[in-house]
Amino acid sequence: MGRKKKKMSKPWCWYCNREFEDEKILIQHQKAKHFKCHICHKKLYTGPGLSIHCMQVHKETIDKVPNSMPNRSNIEIEIYGMEGIPPNDLREHEKQKQGARGNDSGSDDDEPTNKKIKQEGLLGNAPGMMQTMPGLMQGMMPPPGMPPGMQMGHMMHMGHPFHMHPGMQMMGAPPHMMHMQGQAGPPKPLFPSAIPTSSPGAPIVGADFKPISSGATISAPPTTNTPSSSSSDTSKVATIVTSGGASKIVHPNEDISLEEIRSRHPRYARSSKQDDTASNASSNAASELAIAVSAAQQAAVHQAKQQEAIASMNHAMMQRFPVRVSGPPLTMAALQGGQTVMAPVRHHAMIPGPPTLIGGHLMRPPHLGMNMPPGMIGMPPGMMYGAPMFPTGPMMLQPRFR
Amino acid sequence: MKSQTEYRLKSPPDDAISSVKFGPNTNQFLLVSSWDGVVRLYDVAANILRHKYGQDSPVLDCCFTDAVHSYSGHLDNTLKTYDFNVNSESLIGTHNNAIKCVEYCSDVNGILTGSWDHHLKLWDPRTPMCSGSYNQGDKVYAMSVCGEKLVVGTAGRKILVWDIRNMSYALQKRESSLKYQTRAIRCFPNKQGFVLSSIEGRVAVEYLDTNPDVQKKKYAFKCHRIKEDGTEKIYPVNAISFHPGHNTFATGGSDGYVNVWDGFNKKRLCQFHQYPTSITSLSFSHNGSVLAIACSYFLEEDNPPNPLPEDAIYIRTVTDQETKPKHSSS
Repeated sequence: MGRKKKKMSKPWCWYCNREFEDEKILIQHQKAKHFKCHICHKKLYTGPGLSIHCMQVHKETIDKVPNSMPNRSNIEIEIYGMEGIPPNDLREHEKQKQGARGNDSGSDDDEPTNKKIKQEGLLGNAPGMMQTMPGLMQGMMPPPGMPPGMQMGHMMHMGHPFHMHPGMQMMGAPPHMMHMQGQAGPPKPLFPSAIPTSSPGAPIVGADFKPISSGATISAPPTTNTPSSSSSDTSKVATIVTSGGASKIVHPNEDISLEEIRSRHPRYARSSKQDDTASNASSNAASELAIAVSAAQQAAVHQAKQQEAIASMNHAMMQRFPVRVSGPPLTMAALQGGQTVMAPVRHHAMIPGPPTLIGGHLMRPPHLGMNMPPGMIGMPPGMMYGAPMFPTGPMMLQPRFR
Repeated sequence: MKSQTEYRLKSPPDDAISSVKFGPNTNQFLLVSSWDGVVRLYDVAANILRHKYGQDSPVLDCCFTDAVHSYSGHLDNTLKTYDFNVNSESLIGTHNNAIKCVEYCSDVNGILTGSWDHHLKLWDPRTPMCSGSYNQGDKVYAMSVCGEKLVVGTAGRKILVWDIRNMSYALQKRESSLKYQTRAIRCFPNKQGFVLSSIEGRVAVEYLDTNPDVQKKKYAFKCHRIKEDGTEKIYPVNAISFHPGHNTFATGGSDGYVNVWDGFNKKRLCQFHQYPTSITSLSFSHNGSVLAIACSYFLEEDNPPNPLPEDAIYIRTVTDQETKPKHSSS
């Protein structure tokens, strides 16, 4: 799968073992992550450079390279990009890569692992306050310009968590891993989990999120996953106390919006008059079609019942001539604003329209008519059709009138 | 420093603030809806309350259609409009459940409302009538207009993309790429995509173009989390607002922080100081020079703080340094 390009090993960062597409990016990474002064955020060029800077400017000693793996934290070694890496480590890395490449998943396999270590260190680092706000760079994932590379390819085809692009580690970890990381510390780093979340194929619909779902935090709908949630009584549990108890989502247990929860407060009882039956009905019965139809009917409903009858008679016609149902009544409705009538009308709206109305969108024309400025009402039907109700509307709507 | 770049609006709402929206072409006027049932119009420059209307039912969202007309969605299922010129309020229509979202689409001159009754309705501001109702399959929690496209986030982590010019079918139906409940959605001003936030301190950047190469660019990141005594508290990300010029965006969380992000370059541009309580809404002004920050405790926690934090609106002047991408993506 993505092996060919990897023959030439990519530049990698000695401090955190991360691979990069390009040495330039590696250098950016090092400056941002390992050579940045935690006090003034100045980006230095090398470890010793940083140490000297801190000594001279801030009178502080730095004994470790920030965000480095434990055994690679030597601040004395002068490394710039790929230059200066101890030959031993260079060889070892090479070997590792090669060996790993032997099996398909290997190379990617060990990388995220390394990453993880690093990530945790990093996370544990300075939780409280976005550490130094400019901790910005910290979590920076491979620069955006960076091509997805074939690791991506891996990931996509296999959808295996370990085949993640370096940038994906966080999300890429299986749920339990995820939470371990959660415990490790708050994600101070920016975009720590920045991940390209996509699949090659069907970009629309849930399908394209599959890779994410499997590999990412997100595994399947909340229903099934919630390995982390202590309280998974309901199908969708919003409150999470990770297994380690190291993190808590500050949100009520129920997976409904804060607004809904708030609206239950007695204080608001007076004004929340949700009509459960209606809303259920609407969700079940009301195919969008029926709704649209009935919405269209509202026009007619605004008038007396007989007129409604007329209107529905006219519906057939409207299919050919998308014209307001019956001139005068509509005008009236428009002029009167008809607001007060709206509520009752809504109930009508729940009733699927008569079969003749099928093709709900066909019904919109009357509204277009209705929406015309009153002055327009008198215009011949033909005119209404082309009238620019929605600036862009007519053109788009046209096909639906057939 | 705080006093110069930021100040609090006088006579704030008496209950939680649901939404703040700057006027279409001004830094001066800010529309604010609140759970106290009142929609207020502030003159931000003069720091005075200019108008207010409504009083009965909590307001969940509001929007301007032009400088003098506002629309508001209420908990009692009603959609109301107000004309600031003549100080008249009128009822436009109703849903079968509370109206959670109100958006204005200038491209088609339509008001869009999303409700907990699972439906989206389209209204024409000229003749206050509903011109269409569309089932979204679940309660509408968030939505945002993007040119003539509309992105709707519902309960059950579903995302629907509509073409407002042709509402006969949904262009796209997606599952949220975030694992938890959708909290807010805002579209990029350049119309390429949208940003989505969840209750679990996480934000996703997604693209509308369904081309696989474009879809590859989408990603998500964690934010609005605070580590306290070894426990990481993860907060809902309640608010998103885009800088109209730079395509960068601010997020506000229940942690009381506001962050500004460069979504294309995957960078955080800045973080403001911590506000007293949850950020419930954010709005950049039309030119991006001012950010309105609504701050209200929203009952997130099991044990609410005592006394309850005050509801407040902060007006913050932001600089290019805080909102402009440092360098463009290669």
